[in-house]
Amino acid sequence: MESRDRKKRIKRRLYHALLWIISLVFFSPILWMLICSFKTKDEILTIPPKWIFTPTLQNYIGLFHRINFTRELINSTFMSLSAVLIAVLVSFLAAYSFSRFKPKGTDLIMFILLSMRMVPAAAVVVPIYLLYAATGWKGTYSGMILFYAMFSIPFSVWILKGFIDGVSPRFDETAIVNGGSRMHIIFKVVLPQVRPGLIAAFIFNIIFVWNEFLFNYIIGGKRTITVPVGLAQGFTVGGGIQWEFVATLTAFYSLPLIIFIFFFQKYLLVGMTFGTVRGEV
Amino acid sequence: MSEVKVVNLTKKFGRFTALDGIDFSFPAGKVTCLLGPSGCGKTTLLRIISGLETPTEGKVFFGDKDVTGLPPRKRNIGMVFQYPVVYRGISVRKNIELPLLKRGLSETERRERVDRVLSLMNLKDYAELDSSQLDNVARQKVSVARAVAYQPDIILFDEPMTNIDANSKIQFKHAFKELTRQLNQVIVYVTHDQTEAMTLADQIALMKDGKIVQCNDPRTLYNVPEDVFGGWFLGNPGMNFVKERCEKKGSTYIIVSRLLKRPLKIDAPKMDAEVTLGIRPEHIWLSDVPGSDAVEAMVKDKTLTIGGQYLYTLEVGGEKIKVKVGHHFGRAIGNTKVWVELPLRHLVIFDGSERRIHGDLSLQ
Repeated sequence: MESRDRKKRIKRRLYHALLWIISLVFFSPILWMLICSFKTKDEILTIPPKWIFTPTLQNYIGLFHRINFTRELINSTFMSLSAVLIAVLVSFLAAYSFSRFKPKGTDLIMFILLSMRMVPAAAVVVPIYLLYAATGWKGTYSGMILFYAMFSIPFSVWILKGFIDGVSPRFDETAIVNGGSRMHIIFKVVLPQVRPGLIAAFIFNIIFVWNEFLFNYIIGGKRTITVPVGLAQGFTVGGGIQWEFVATLTAFYSLPLIIFIFFFQKYLLVGMTFGTVRGEV
Repeated sequence: MSEVKVVNLTKKFGRFTALDGIDFSFPAGKVTCLLGPSGCGKTTLLRIISGLETPTEGKVFFGDKDVTGLPPRKRNIGMVFQYPVVYRGISVRKNIELPLLKRGLSETERRERVDRVLSLMNLKDYAELDSSQLDNVARQKVSVARAVAYQPDIILFDEPMTNIDANSKIQFKHAFKELTRQLNQVIVYVTHDQTEAMTLADQIALMKDGKIVQCNDPRTLYNVPEDVFGGWFLGNPGMNFVKERCEKKGSTYIIVSRLLKRPLKIDAPKMDAEVTLGIRPEHIWLSDVPGSDAVEAMVKDKTLTIGGQYLYTLEVGGEKIKVKVGHHFGRAIGNTKVWVELPLRHLVIFDGSERRIHGDLSLQ
């Protein structure tokens, strides 16, 4: 009896050790990036890698001395936040309508919406470039924000519809009977109950917009440049690859997202299941 | 508040007719139960009264006022659904107060009203709890309290006990009874559960296929159903029905039944050739010795049912009937041969179109 218990315990420990190893393997590039951001350029390129070194903040100081970096950072923050907020609001209203009014062909529309996410970005970049060039939206903030919002909406509608379907229409009807307006129902009755879904949609979209490179590179301009594009343009300046710059910039840029997701990771899970896994969050 | 009246109310969903020209009025100060099987239109009728659905034809009156075209919020109604609607993240008190905020009542008035319904529904201890801490029965009580605090002219209940477990149902029924005794509004209660209807209603409107077939107090509805459907739907099991022939002899009609020792004379102006005799299983007299007016029957099956009663399936002259008897007697008669007698005061006769025939019965 006792030996079986011990066997079980050992098995469990082994299993946990395995999980740790796998996690570390996946985490190693990030760790490498973090370590490199505190090394000098020469230390980064040493073979075999130097594990013991005097950390330096010089790279980070250098980062902020680069022209444009502050602008890139402000652009990234401003554009991702506003695009995602617009997307979540629009998607929430759309999802509410699909869920409650069930217009003819809802299933088909929902499918078409999701299929937009299946088109590879590279396939649409040229048409969108032509469109933006023709309308004069290229390189404008509103153009970029609307583009990102448009790109984020389909998936958010999917997530949110699942959540709103889970809120009984009886809530709506109770409010109607008690004299509530439609806006009251949407924002005061339904919204508080799908908050996990809204946060999940927000996280999914912010990850995408925050890291988006291709479209900003093609349809953005000097004014709307974001950090990922700045990285691509800056890492070969001065001949050769500026590894300390790449490491520092990516480490610094990933940090807010990593912290954010660390605190909201439970919502990431409910989002991936489209609100079908109930559980209190 | 005076009555709620519906006139020639018809509702069609595509080709399906949910309500078929209903004329009915719901009196104030009484609990009217709409009872019927699933899909009979009872919920649709309730939703039309509330204004959540619009009728295809017909009108709805609250008192003398035609409200057919009014949106729900202008009808001054309270509604409680199957699903307990309780807003999460706010206290029970806030939940009840919520609709009152829109009406521009003073804070003291709001407080008074909320306190009153809290004590009415026995919810005082829950007042400051968050609604997520409540069980289903307490949640549903909060929904009821909210509807009542609003002081509507009409309170509508749509199967409010469906999501409450069996033990708490008694608790909820008790609270509901206590509450309705003190209200003077029109109360409409939809259910498919006959026990609920029997215990809670002042009058039951029995529905079938989009029509109200009968409306009476529970006892009358149970004992003398006006329609075969009522006899079948109510009771557990429902009435026994036996089809028999009816002949005219002189000025009276005579039914010779396999269940009766002597011919049955019925004093009615007009009779169909084929009639149906109905009697409830618990009204049949069962005996293990022959009696003067009893007919012989064979025991086919015997099961123990609710309350220790025995349910016998008997065969009488080729007809199968069910008889319910008390525990002691039911256990005592175990043999295959018994005698049954149908007391005339419990016997109901239906015509060819399954409506009840009113007329005095006697044995020849």
